[in-house]
Amino acid sequence: MSNAVRVQPDLKFVKELQEVGGESLKKCYQCATCSVVCPLSPADDPYPRKEMVWAQWGLKDRLVNDIDIWLCHNCGTCSDLCPRGAKPGDLLAALRNMAYRKLAQPSIIGTWMSSSKFLPILIAIPAAIYLLIWVARAATLGTAFPLFDAAGKVVATGGRVWYGGLFPGDFTIDPIFSLLFLFVVFTFYKGCASLMQSFKSLPKTFVVGRTKEPCFCKCVVDTIKNEVAVHSRFKECGQEEETQSRVKGHLLVFYAFLALMVVTGTVAGAHWGGFVLHKMGLDGVFLTILHAFGDTPLSLFNPVKLLANAGAVALLIGLTLLTKRRMGLDNAKQGSSFYDWYLLGMIWTVALTGVMSELLRLVCWPGMAYPMYFFHLVAVFMLIGYLPWSKLGHLVYRTAALAYARKIGRIPMI
Amino acid sequence: MSNNSILVVGGGFAGITAALEAAEVGHEVFIIEKNPYLGGRVAQLNQYFPKLCPPTCGLEIQFQRIRNNPLVKVRTMAELVSISGTPGNYIATVKIVPRYVNEKCTACGECEKAASTTMENEFEFGLCSRKAVYKPHVHAFPMRYVLDAVRCDKAELAKIKAACPYDAIDLDDQEKIIEIPVGSVVMATGWKPYDVKKLTNLGGGHIKNVITNMQLERLAAPAGPTEGKILRPSDKKAPKKIAFVQCAGSRDENHLNYCSYICCMASLKHAAYIRARDAEAEVVIYYIDLRTPGRYENFKNRILADSKLKLVKGKVAEIVEDHHNRDVVVTVEDAVTGIKSREHFDLVVLATGMQPSVAGQKLGLKVPQDEQGFIIGGEESGFIPSGCAKMPLDVMKSAQTGTGAALRAIQSVSGR
Repeated sequence: MSNAVRVQPDLKFVKELQEVGGESLKKCYQCATCSVVCPLSPADDPYPRKEMVWAQWGLKDRLVNDIDIWLCHNCGTCSDLCPRGAKPGDLLAALRNMAYRKLAQPSIIGTWMSSSKFLPILIAIPAAIYLLIWVARAATLGTAFPLFDAAGKVVATGGRVWYGGLFPGDFTIDPIFSLLFLFVVFTFYKGCASLMQSFKSLPKTFVVGRTKEPCFCKCVVDTIKNEVAVHSRFKECGQEEETQSRVKGHLLVFYAFLALMVVTGTVAGAHWGGFVLHKMGLDGVFLTILHAFGDTPLSLFNPVKLLANAGAVALLIGLTLLTKRRMGLDNAKQGSSFYDWYLLGMIWTVALTGVMSELLRLVCWPGMAYPMYFFHLVAVFMLIGYLPWSKLGHLVYRTAALAYARKIGRIPMI
Repeated sequence: MSNNSILVVGGGFAGITAALEAAEVGHEVFIIEKNPYLGGRVAQLNQYFPKLCPPTCGLEIQFQRIRNNPLVKVRTMAELVSISGTPGNYIATVKIVPRYVNEKCTACGECEKAASTTMENEFEFGLCSRKAVYKPHVHAFPMRYVLDAVRCDKAELAKIKAACPYDAIDLDDQEKIIEIPVGSVVMATGWKPYDVKKLTNLGGGHIKNVITNMQLERLAAPAGPTEGKILRPSDKKAPKKIAFVQCAGSRDENHLNYCSYICCMASLKHAAYIRARDAEAEVVIYYIDLRTPGRYENFKNRILADSKLKLVKGKVAEIVEDHHNRDVVVTVEDAVTGIKSREHFDLVVLATGMQPSVAGQKLGLKVPQDEQGFIIGGEESGFIPSGCAKMPLDVMKSAQTGTGAALRAIQSVSGR
């Protein structure tokens, strides 16, 4: 055996993998049913059989540099038909979880995000920040549950609930979330850089008729336009009815978030734009228009508010579909990890506290409205701030990986 | 005083062996067999391991021994209903299904010519049809016709009866319940091929040119539906490219959660059938692991020396039909090269596994079964499992367990 390869197993890595959702991987006997039944797996070096053997052998290098884990959208067909119950789908999900845990720095957050036992720490950070603000503002305003008149003065009775009064956007919301946003963008940048670095070892596929590799930007555009926006490969992933409800649910949640992002962007842009215009002394019609979109709370008939509420409804419907599907999964075939439940739970919390905050404000129950808004702030902070270490990180990592896969010819440009 | 007699449930190779071994040392033995003939699955094979004999070869000797031994009593078309009593003193209640043909039958075949109703031939695994009155198969023992009276109308029955020159058709035959006192029971209930209809992703039951390994045995058998020519079902042409799909339903927790032991050898044997008939034919065997127990390794090496036979490691997981020419398209990943491809074949053979005949049935006896239906004990109360009722085996090992079961049964009745 002159060309024998000595396998250097990383047993710790295998154990780690089993912890983050790949516990059945040792049952695999390499029959390759999974690679065949996968509706997305390509003809050359199909997944997930090869990942199963790498995982069993503890070939960490191969697995952490593997782009194919991002090509899988986890319909679970491979696990359904697996003759050993080795759950290859869960292994790929576990590898993605591992990526969420390891790709972004500081890695301590990755550790905290990997298990429910660290949840209190994750909650405590934003809760402490906003509780401190709440206490400070309560001392200033003289009450923790203030009611405001039209001019923004605290009144004893007959006023309205105004979240911006207790937590002024200019000082307590926008700066904190802007910093958080920048932190997340920077973290993603670093994370993607190390993801791309890890793909460097991958072989390039020779594509017939292609003279040179397309540039990465082109690949990103193609990925977003033809794949992310329309969920093209996700739609092909799995044929059964439940899988299709997953596509519907995911699309709804995706576009709901997009709508809510547009709303947030518009409100923030109008608000700060108005501020700048005012400072520059450019008062006029334009500024009035900006005020209409930048001063919260918005009227219920404001088009931006309509979009926000439509987004909230879409989010709830999408979440219901996704949660129902996940709860209906046969655990003998496809498991759900902490990453799955964390994300679903987080989005549910954001959506429900958001909707409840709006309703409680409208019915003017300050004793419940302000705590609800507080929870909403904490939840949004957690969703955004820990994004690179959560399953939602796939939004960026998967997009980057799919673009890279196009560049090297692993999947075709559309 | 305990009973010295032994009941053998199932008249296949294991059951016959157990019965003869016990009878030849002086015990009275009753064989009850559900089918109208003895010989079980071996009778359906073209050739059987280890020496690739035709079934008549081994079975004829056994039938001769049965004929010559008055201590062996055979009841065909008989089913065990229940067993009462205590170890050493059992009463077996047995239902005898009417055959409507008595012992005067000479198997001349006149009745068959007179019959008009046809139906699927179970012995040939549906590869052809048979008349309502039929000879189970060419070497049937007892050599006597069977009449499916319920499937015919009165006029046809009368015609069949009139056609018999020996007055062997007995339309008044009725279901009988008999009681047999015995000391112990050998359970040699055997196996059935796993139901291919459950293998939906492999085209089981709905793609014409996807057949099972047992169907291939019948196609290769000289007395089978094609007189030993291997022809594909859709157009009766000799296939030039044939694929074997190993572990079709075996070693699969969604189907049979165990290895059926002999399918690898069976497929190698089938490849030999095909190659012996057609020098041009190409055969590919898709496997996960090739199991060649004991000396069968030598057989494997001999068969694999053929350059027209290719082994590919990788389980076929998707089979579809090419509607233009009814070819079969299989999708498989070669786990060695890591290439997933779609291959066209004229004929695909599913190497389906063995399922215990009693799987999913409530036996109503004090015999423990595992979750797959194999009988895994009961010796202490005088129930001795034997053959493929116990585990998947080849014919040789089945016979060995038959001999072992005879010894256990004798010990069970003598030691009390």
